[in-house]
Amino acid sequence: MPPSQLKQLKSSLRDGGLLGPQQSKKQKRQNVKSGAAAQSRIQRDSALQAIRDRFNPFEIKTTSRAKFDVTTRDKAPKSTASQARPGVTKSLGEERRRQTLLREMDRKNKVGGIMDRRFGENDPTMTPEERAAERFARESQKKLRKESMFNLEEDEDEFQLTHGGQSLSFDEANIGDDFREGDLEKNEDSDSELPRKRKRVFADGEDGPEDVDEAEEGEELPERKKSKHEVMKEVIAKSKFHKLERQKAKEDDDDLREELDKGLPDLFDMLRGVKPPPKPEPPKDDLASMNPERAALLAGESPEDPEREYDQRLKQLTFDKRSQPTDRTKTAEERAEEEAQRLKTLEAERLRRMRGDESSEDESEAEEEESEGGDSDASEESPPDDAKAFGLQLPTDQANTRPELAVEDEDDFIIDDDLVETRSDASLSFIQSDEEMESAEESEEDQDEQEDELINGFTLPEHKSGDESTAPNGTEEPGNGLAFTYPCPGSHEEFLQIVEDVSMQDLPTVVQRIRALHHPRLHSDNKTKLGRFAAVLVEHVAYMTDQAEHPPFAIVENILRHIHSLAKSHPDNVCQAYRARLRDIATDRPLNLRPSDLVILTGIAAIFPTSDHFHAIATPAHLCLARYLGQGAFNTLADLTTGTYAASLFLQYQTGSKRYMPELMNFILNTLCHLSPKEPSESLGYFPSRSPATSLRLNPSKPVSPRKLQFWDMTDLSSNTTATTITYEETKLSLITTLVTLLGTASDLWTDKSAYPEIFEPVQKVLNHVVRSCKGKVSPAARKTLQETLDRINAQLPKARHTRRPLLLHNHRPLAIKTAIPKFEESFNPNKHYDPDRERAESNRLKTEYKRERKGAMRELRKDANFIAREKLRDKKERDAEYEKKYKRLVAEVQNEEGREANAYEREKRMRQGKR
Amino acid sequence: MPVPTAGSVASKKRKNVKDAAVPASKPSKRRAVADTQSADAKVDIQQLEDQISESRKYYNNIATLISMLSADDAAKKPNMAVAVALCRVFSRLIAGGNMTETSRAAENEKVIVAWLKERCREYQRLLLSIIRESDSSSQITALTLCLCLINERATHLPGDDIHVWSSGLFKGIFESVVEATNGQAVLSEFIEKAKEFEDVRYFTFMQLADYATTERSSETIDILVSILSACDTVPGPEHEFESFYTKSSQKNKKVVSVNSQKKRAQDAWLAILRNNLSQSQRKNLLRIMVHNIEPWFNRPELLMDFLTDSYNVGGATSLLALSGLFFLIQEKNLDYPQFYHKLYSLLDADLLHSKHRSRFFRLMNTFLASTHLPATLIASFIKRLSRLSLNAPPPAVVAIVPFVYNLMKEHPTCSLMIHRTGDEGLDDPYDATETDPIRTNAIESSLWEIHTLQSHYHPNVAAIAHIISEQFTKQFYNLEDFLDYTYQGMLQAEVGTEDKPFKRTPVVEFQIPKRIFTDRLLEEDGGQDTAPVSLVRGLWGFA
Repeated sequence: MPPSQLKQLKSSLRDGGLLGPQQSKKQKRQNVKSGAAAQSRIQRDSALQAIRDRFNPFEIKTTSRAKFDVTTRDKAPKSTASQARPGVTKSLGEERRRQTLLREMDRKNKVGGIMDRRFGENDPTMTPEERAAERFARESQKKLRKESMFNLEEDEDEFQLTHGGQSLSFDEANIGDDFREGDLEKNEDSDSELPRKRKRVFADGEDGPEDVDEAEEGEELPERKKSKHEVMKEVIAKSKFHKLERQKAKEDDDDLREELDKGLPDLFDMLRGVKPPPKPEPPKDDLASMNPERAALLAGESPEDPEREYDQRLKQLTFDKRSQPTDRTKTAEERAEEEAQRLKTLEAERLRRMRGDESSEDESEAEEEESEGGDSDASEESPPDDAKAFGLQLPTDQANTRPELAVEDEDDFIIDDDLVETRSDASLSFIQSDEEMESAEESEEDQDEQEDELINGFTLPEHKSGDESTAPNGTEEPGNGLAFTYPCPGSHEEFLQIVEDVSMQDLPTVVQRIRALHHPRLHSDNKTKLGRFAAVLVEHVAYMTDQAEHPPFAIVENILRHIHSLAKSHPDNVCQAYRARLRDIATDRPLNLRPSDLVILTGIAAIFPTSDHFHAIATPAHLCLARYLGQGAFNTLADLTTGTYAASLFLQYQTGSKRYMPELMNFILNTLCHLSPKEPSESLGYFPSRSPATSLRLNPSKPVSPRKLQFWDMTDLSSNTTATTITYEETKLSLITTLVTLLGTASDLWTDKSAYPEIFEPVQKVLNHVVRSCKGKVSPAARKTLQETLDRINAQLPKARHTRRPLLLHNHRPLAIKTAIPKFEESFNPNKHYDPDRERAESNRLKTEYKRERKGAMRELRKDANFIAREKLRDKKERDAEYEKKYKRLVAEVQNEEGREANAYEREKRMRQGKR
Repeated sequence: MPVPTAGSVASKKRKNVKDAAVPASKPSKRRAVADTQSADAKVDIQQLEDQISESRKYYNNIATLISMLSADDAAKKPNMAVAVALCRVFSRLIAGGNMTETSRAAENEKVIVAWLKERCREYQRLLLSIIRESDSSSQITALTLCLCLINERATHLPGDDIHVWSSGLFKGIFESVVEATNGQAVLSEFIEKAKEFEDVRYFTFMQLADYATTERSSETIDILVSILSACDTVPGPEHEFESFYTKSSQKNKKVVSVNSQKKRAQDAWLAILRNNLSQSQRKNLLRIMVHNIEPWFNRPELLMDFLTDSYNVGGATSLLALSGLFFLIQEKNLDYPQFYHKLYSLLDADLLHSKHRSRFFRLMNTFLASTHLPATLIASFIKRLSRLSLNAPPPAVVAIVPFVYNLMKEHPTCSLMIHRTGDEGLDDPYDATETDPIRTNAIESSLWEIHTLQSHYHPNVAAIAHIISEQFTKQFYNLEDFLDYTYQGMLQAEVGTEDKPFKRTPVVEFQIPKRIFTDRLLEEDGGQDTAPVSLVRGLWGFA
């Protein structure tokens, strides 16, 4: 049995050295001197505290006893976590609340030390207008209340709303307009001389505040003799007033001058013939649509206006180009190097696109896609389509897997346009013109040469930007019959109307003028307009070349280059136009290409990078050509000419990326077989044989020599009836040589293909056959071409065979077999979550955190509420006690008085009785 | 007084009476213009018909009616009212037993019966000529009348039922239906009947087999094939025969037996197959072979000759014969020597360009599905396909590569063709001219062709060709998903059907070329043409 509490206390006191033999006085004195006394007192205090803690069973709480002592291994935190000091924490929390919550409670509804009883002042849901309206309603209600009639103590307008020291009530004296002449005068005066006094509304304000104001102003007082002092004052005031007037006039002049100066650059621009920048939108427009409060703020009435303006200016200065150090002018070499660098990066970019980045990204994405597709398909209860994984059915998916294309920095158009457009915002208005000019200069410098070449050289006449109402003939110049201004056509029909009277030679000029007139920098609408115009041009190129009268190719080329230039600034429009054409070809005449289609396809070769792995225009264009070559019916010489052109174009597409094209080989070999003078005795390869309806074999009466094929041969040969057999034979031979040249080029392109021997063995056979059968029928020059190509392929074939290795495609690391062994975690911690799904783990973590926070917040709130209730109770008790005290005092006082009176009465009574 | 003369006298008398009574009625009937007149004619016919049923003495009316029917242009524009009336008359007579000879009957009775039979035959002949030559509605009516007569005869004339079906009237009906001019409607009506009634079908088969034994023109064979292929519901072994046109057929053992039905059909088909078929007919027959023809055959090996002949024709026909042949090999346990040899020989230059490409791939997928096939054979097929793919259009390549993948997955030995740690590559050991797929040495070769196709101009095709250089983790590719691509479809997928905004703006060539068609500014480059499209510019003049 442990000893009793008292004994324990005693022993612990003794152990702490608190109870001991008494010290002598001498010792005490010594201790004081040496400072040991203070030391020992601190020690003693702490020891006492410790003992107190030990003996207070409520001070320390062992919160959670370990439930399963055996299974828990982490004992370390037990000592700290399982012991809490509820008293301490409680008092700490109490203290903190006292400092924050209590203070807040005290200050509630108070401004300064005064209780703010205005209606709705602390209601954040009310807007100022609502608040004012409600207050006004309250007040009028109050006035109408009948009980105030008998209220003797308070006057009716004891409680009155004021603004600026003036009553807001519509008293009979004040009914009328808010605006008074006096207000203005008063303001002016107060600015100049009289310090303005704020008026209190008097309780007995029968005469309104206005009257009081007037009564105070000196001039308005009834006539009386002025003192000298007053006269002098008046004179001084007058002179001051005049001075002010003069100053004001001067300022006005200055303003005017500034205004004029501002217009000067415009004037210069106009003189130079450059279009002035669009005027910034007046800020008023913005203000009109804004919240009136903000409008007021922005309009400069607010007190912090100067600061705002300062900030604004500072910002402008930091963004101002002039404040930044400019790059020094580069030397010619540096510029050349830079250009070379730029071209290099562009080329690298192109190569990357050509590879299509299939090495790593595509596959993984394709895999993902596949799995995703599988999932979604599974949910749709249809078997997953294997072909989809290769983008066969979803061309858009293919687009997704394409490598990220960086914005091409060198394209000045995009960047410039963006700058121009952002600059037209209202906020940065005042240095706009300068900046505009600068950027314009810069862009001028940076602009592509070609760009300049295409648009410049044509000065702008006086012209409203984007003004479509300008009639095409309105400003016509009699000189060359070309108008200076044209509306921007929105459709091909409109364009045809415009160019109806324009000769073919002038077409580039017209296009140039339209482009210059609708330069996107001139008007924000122009960008979309030019986009449409670009599409129209694409259509027009096709239209032109479909005309019976062949347009000169210089013109077509020029238009195509215009389209290219527009494509850089409006890629979407041009690409859509091209796709529309390709769609037309694909649906209307897939096996019967027109010259216009071929021109368009040639344009594609120039405008778009046909070497890309995937390209929204180039890929369908490839398919169009391949389909034509693979399935088209070639029955006449004209057909063959068209086909040969298409083949040349097809090969042209792949000169960069050197991809293999089966249809090309099929077409060339088949055509060669059917053009050669003799029919081959046996099949020369695996290409399918399609013979033309009538024999087109070369069968000249005397040896012919080839010529350079002409583009229009494809229509002339069919339409021209005067063509002699000689020209026919010539064309046949030219076709043969052209095709053989193409074979040579293809051989060069595909030398490093692993199947080179397989591809070119049939070619060798066919060429051999052609050379043999042409013997004696063609000129030596033609023979030489054929033989040269044949020799090249003959030389290349054994080389390719020798360098070829067996395929080594499956050099992959062997895949691990899937294991079914559960994954064990070394040093498993049950408190840690081993969720392999990261997202789920994350969400779980957030959930627990949220739960914990919620609990904590609720506990805090509950404690707060407790505290508030306690405080309120305390307040109430205090007030009650005070009231009680007061009551008691009063009662005592009354009793006192009464008692005295009673005593007096008693005395009186006794006296009377005594008298009696 | 012999009755016939009396009859003839009576008929003469009748005619006279008639002529006297309605002198203008006949020509008007023939012209059939006025309603009243035609109504009169109908009344007349009705009267004649009624008289026949009243008494024997009016039998000569039959001759009158027949003569009305057999007027000079009757075959073209028959008077169907008369035909219908006659049909009724004969039906009644047959049902009434007036056309049955009994041994006990008197001599003159026999004469009457003989005379009636003669008239009946005459009437049948007229009906058949109507079926052959008249307009479609009359044809159909005539057909119905004929079938009515058959019904009556088969029901009421004992011993006549087999005869009327096999050699008598039905034979005539069948022939005239087949040979009818503009006989589409009547043919379809006939087919309807044949499909509905089992006895009609049975005897149709019989007649058809008989009819097709002689060489016929291709149009006729078309008609025969259409009749036969329309009867496509082959009775099962426990089939209950229920719908008969004539009740007496129920008793016919042959008609109600499944075997004999099938036998008849088999004979009919064989007769057609042995006839001289045009190329397109042969293809058509091959197409319906498995589903329509083969089920009728009790002995499918009889089809063998036809299939072998077709297989040896070559081209698309052999392709079609393949499926029938394979069916026989697979289901009927037929032995066909050098099947794979022939299959291999079908892989020629035109195959991948033909429209039967996907069909062929489906078949080949089945043929080569067995894992017991030798790897050398599979390798030959793989190699040949990949060789062909060098000249194939993209849709074909798209099918070939997954197919090759599946084969390699099935026959891992063949993956030597894509992975071989050999030294210096010599010539391709594959012998393309060898026709025996076992001896081509293909397994010693490598699939350079598909490797080359990895740089096909079409990105998707290139992506598919890449699967042979990836790890073979996928179990197999579902070949169906790859078969039905066309140029049009692929193009459609690329350009879409309407303008859609781009997900990513297409890249535009950064440099605007100095020249596209002309030699513009060529001097600036020092005469060296480096701008794009230089190849085309070098070969073509633009003026």
